[in-house]
Amino acid sequence: MLDLRATTGWFFALLGVILAALGVFSPGLRASLTDLNVNLYCGIVMIAFGGVMLLFARKRS
Amino acid sequence: MKLAPVDYLILAIYFGFVLGIGWRLRKSVESSRDFLTAGRSVPVWITSLAFLAANLGAQEVIGMSASGAKYGIMTAHFYWIGAVPAMLFVGVFMMPFYYGSRARSVPEYLKLRFDEKTRGLNALTFAVMTVFSSGISMYALGLLLQLVLGWSFTASVLLSAAIVLIYTLLGGLTSAIYNEVLQFFLIVLGFAPLAIMSVAKAGGWSGIESRLPSVMTHSWKYMGDASQNPMGVEVFSMVAGLGFVLSFGYWCTDFLVVQRAMAADSMSAARRTPLIAAFPKMMMPFIVIVPGIAALAIAKMNIGYALPLKGDGYDYDQAFITLMSHFYPSGMLGVGLTALMASFMSGMAGNVTAFNTVFTYDIYQGYIHKGAPDAHYLKVGRITTVVGTALSIMTAYLAQHYNNIMDLLQLVFGFVNAPLFATFLLGMFWRRATGHGAFTGLLTGTTFAALTHGLTVAEHKGGWIAPLHPFPSTMAQNFWIAIFAWTSCFVVTIVVSLLTKPRPAEELQGLVYGLTKVPHDTGVSWYRKPAPVAVLVIAVLLVLNFWFR
Repeated sequence: MLDLRATTGWFFALLGVILAALGVFSPGLRASLTDLNVNLYCGIVMIAFGGVMLLFARKRS
Repeated sequence: MKLAPVDYLILAIYFGFVLGIGWRLRKSVESSRDFLTAGRSVPVWITSLAFLAANLGAQEVIGMSASGAKYGIMTAHFYWIGAVPAMLFVGVFMMPFYYGSRARSVPEYLKLRFDEKTRGLNALTFAVMTVFSSGISMYALGLLLQLVLGWSFTASVLLSAAIVLIYTLLGGLTSAIYNEVLQFFLIVLGFAPLAIMSVAKAGGWSGIESRLPSVMTHSWKYMGDASQNPMGVEVFSMVAGLGFVLSFGYWCTDFLVVQRAMAADSMSAARRTPLIAAFPKMMMPFIVIVPGIAALAIAKMNIGYALPLKGDGYDYDQAFITLMSHFYPSGMLGVGLTALMASFMSGMAGNVTAFNTVFTYDIYQGYIHKGAPDAHYLKVGRITTVVGTALSIMTAYLAQHYNNIMDLLQLVFGFVNAPLFATFLLGMFWRRATGHGAFTGLLTGTTFAALTHGLTVAEHKGGWIAPLHPFPSTMAQNFWIAIFAWTSCFVVTIVVSLLTKPRPAEELQGLVYGLTKVPHDTGVSWYRKPAPVAVLVIAVLLVLNFWFR
């Protein structure tokens, strides 16, 4: 059976890498109401979440 | 609002993953039970999050943030008085009968407990209702994407429906449930940053309090009198109508959510499913309602954000998505929109999987073709999945052209649903309740609901018999309709039950309180037992209600 933790982990790690890369290479991407580098920070959070999920999946198997 | 290629890339990756989950699970389907009930084999953390996500459709997200902008933090009553207590009740008290009866669906439980006609009534109305509501939410999503992104209504409706159809056909309920978990995480991670940034922009909660009228930031303070709050609801109808009748009616009897708990791998897991789900459920107001409130505060700051207009008022439904476009740059904006699509898909998959089970087991196997080999019902289940999706799409187009018919249907379903909880409560906890009692009770409750609507007026709605009593808002009217429907059903069920022949006790084993052995989990840690978890939920719930009073 499919281990959902691993699938979720890969999904968010991939999303996080795309966002973080956008944040690093196009730091100028900003929405009108905030000066934060939203892509970078959200990307880092998603990589961390994905990593934790992958860790859980690894621990079991 | 314009999307960049990277936003479409993120959407495409998401589609790839959900279809991939369906593909990987295709081999787990060997019988109709695997396909329609997930073979009762899903781990508890998965069923819990699916329990939550199946209810978290796009309409919920858009509607709750709209209500946040319109009514303020009072909207949180839908969670803190509405959903959560009902979720505790279904987990602690009702799940032993649902799961222990070995029924495959909620209508089937009614058949075992009462009789064939009570089940037939429930199965039929439920089947029509699920198809209808999934069509309505499809319509809402298509309309929003058309309005904000300029996407074609047909394209967004057909594409999202096709993807849900493919992954449900491949892996059945298991696939729908697994995807709901991924969708849940995406909804949280995609929306939470918006909540944090919008509240921070408005100066934190205290900044919001200073910019908005006090009624928007207090959930209980203005509930004493209906004329003092924008919902037009007073405390009794809120607690009795929403908190008791409507919420318990939905969370404790609606097969869409109960089905997720019934898919758990043990009785203990089934009981803990709604309890564990209650924790994230309590926190949902912070990511769906609070951004709506923050949007209103930010709009008052004159910094380049205004609530979208419709006619001479605000279009609150657009608040959430326009706020997103002011805080998320390309990239995160793609994630946010994907999360919105995900919420739509989790809601739709919930409807489709509940519909195919009720149709296959309760209508087809019950009345059309009994006693066929299981492979036949598996095939019927698959065909029903396709037909259900097609009917939903048709409903979405109907809604686009005939909005009035949809309003009318929604009203009628409200009448049918309102008394349901009385029937289940008596069925599970009073062994003397009979099938005739339940059936007459349901019909009476529905009739009383219609009568209440016909005799009262609110915002020009109702009063088609005689406008005897005015309500300050349609919400108050709805809550009172529910209260009357429930009470009449409760009383009539008792009276008719006492006049009809009771079923012998041995036929009710496992179906009624007092004749069912509720397992006591001994030798497991406290957090694996239902009661302590429920107490913990209540404690947090009290803190939240007190904090935002």
